[in-house]
Amino acid sequence: MTHYAMVIDLNTCVGCNACMAACALENQSPVWDEHKWRTYVHDKEIGVGSDVHRRFFPRLCNHCDNPPCMSVCPTGATYKKANGIVMVNPDWCMGCGACALACPYHARIPITYGDVAQGREFYGSDYRRSSPSMDKCSFCDHRVEKGLKPACVETCVGSSRQFGNLDDPNDPVTRMVASGVARPLMPHIGTRPNVFYIDDLKWRG
Amino acid sequence: MDVNTMTYASQDLWTWWLAVYLYTGGLGAATLSVTFLTDMYLKPHRNLVLWGAGAGVVLLSLGSMMLFGHLLHHLAAIHVLNPLVFILKPDAWIAWGTQFIIWMMVWGVLYALPYARETPLLRRLPLVGKVLDWGLVVKISGAVQRFRKFVGWLAVVNGVGVAVYTGLLLQSFPAVALWANPGVPLLFTVSAFSTALAFLLLIMYTVIKDAADEKIRVLYERIDLVLISAELVILFSFFFYLKRGSESAMRSWELLFTDFGWLIGFIGFGLIVPFFLELKGVVKGWTSHVPIITASVLVLMGGYLLRHYFMYAGVYAYPW
Repeated sequence: MTHYAMVIDLNTCVGCNACMAACALENQSPVWDEHKWRTYVHDKEIGVGSDVHRRFFPRLCNHCDNPPCMSVCPTGATYKKANGIVMVNPDWCMGCGACALACPYHARIPITYGDVAQGREFYGSDYRRSSPSMDKCSFCDHRVEKGLKPACVETCVGSSRQFGNLDDPNDPVTRMVASGVARPLMPHIGTRPNVFYIDDLKWRG
Repeated sequence: MDVNTMTYASQDLWTWWLAVYLYTGGLGAATLSVTFLTDMYLKPHRNLVLWGAGAGVVLLSLGSMMLFGHLLHHLAAIHVLNPLVFILKPDAWIAWGTQFIIWMMVWGVLYALPYARETPLLRRLPLVGKVLDWGLVVKISGAVQRFRKFVGWLAVVNGVGVAVYTGLLLQSFPAVALWANPGVPLLFTVSAFSTALAFLLLIMYTVIKDAADEKIRVLYERIDLVLISAELVILFSFFFYLKRGSESAMRSWELLFTDFGWLIGFIGFGLIVPFFLELKGVVKGWTSHVPIITASVLVLMGGYLLRHYFMYAGVYAYPW
């Protein structure tokens, strides 16, 4: 069996945003609206005076094992594949937005009729989307099916993003998760995410 | 994950229009249920049933249009209108809510049909009058009269389902402490029936104006008084749940309990003032109908404010 997961090392993320660009072009995101990118790197300054630390925090869909976005979806447009990837069928999605309110990770994106029209202009004849929907990261399922890594992982210059199979005990991602060095976001909510973060040790001292 | 940077944000996807959907949904459904129960068990009342069914259909349609208008992909709504959605998505409250709304309207219109055929005003209306005389409509009307209570209960069950659903919908969003707790469906259901009784009192005192309805009006006032009391108790528990809760809860508390619209508009004028106006009416009575009409208008206003503030005060805690 396969159970895909991602580990993001906050110590090695340099905030280059290459992951955002790679994801946007791979998945034909509405690049004209920064709030509609499937993955986003937050750039924050922490501290006061001369003791200021710049911190980058990439976020994306956490592909939860107990995804609240899937349970609230009234049409069944949001579904989970056997390999753990949470997907959206845009033909079935009516865009009610319940998934966006249910998601604790701010990972659902409204793609409107206007975005679809602009997408046709921007991406030309290669544009794949035909209808609006609540979009989200798919772990680049179309690439993973071919044995490739997600675009954001492939392009990450600092190897901050790593992709693996939790059902393989020898996978480096599995070992990082099993050791506890990589941990999920907000586990108390009960979503059982499959994106894990290695904490920013420099900041935490 | 233990991170030192948190961002607290409220959402801007479901705003006032969703509050209208929740408000009209709860009000319309509860109004229909109360009038049908009154008609079945207290006193057969043509006008009340027509107002209940009419308000139920109009308010639910208005709320549903609010939601439909804000959908991103309108054609895909066909999937949630399919009655088999119960089997496909039994865990999604919107699926249940949509079916409750549809069937409440269907059974509601059917229950009111025999009364509609007896109403001269409706029979004089150009299109409606003709439809009411169609052979099929006459047969359905006869069947409804034979199974009156069965049809009434089907409408009531679906109506109660709609009222409860409005709260269950918010409860299903786990990241927001204000919403993801069992108090929300309770609060919204109590509020739905309180606003419905206020609406019916308003109609009975200003439109129907039948002296023979005095017993029904007094009963409605008493029940509304109990419901307002229950709402105040639930809000009291929300106050402490939020104030001593998680960071998301505390931020919601700050948004709600430092806002004059919530404190004075909703709790003050939407609950406490009507409570005392209705209490005086129940204990000593009023010489005029104005205080109860005033209380009803205030309860109706408060019902919307409750949902409006609930939508805006839901706080997400993001670890970035």
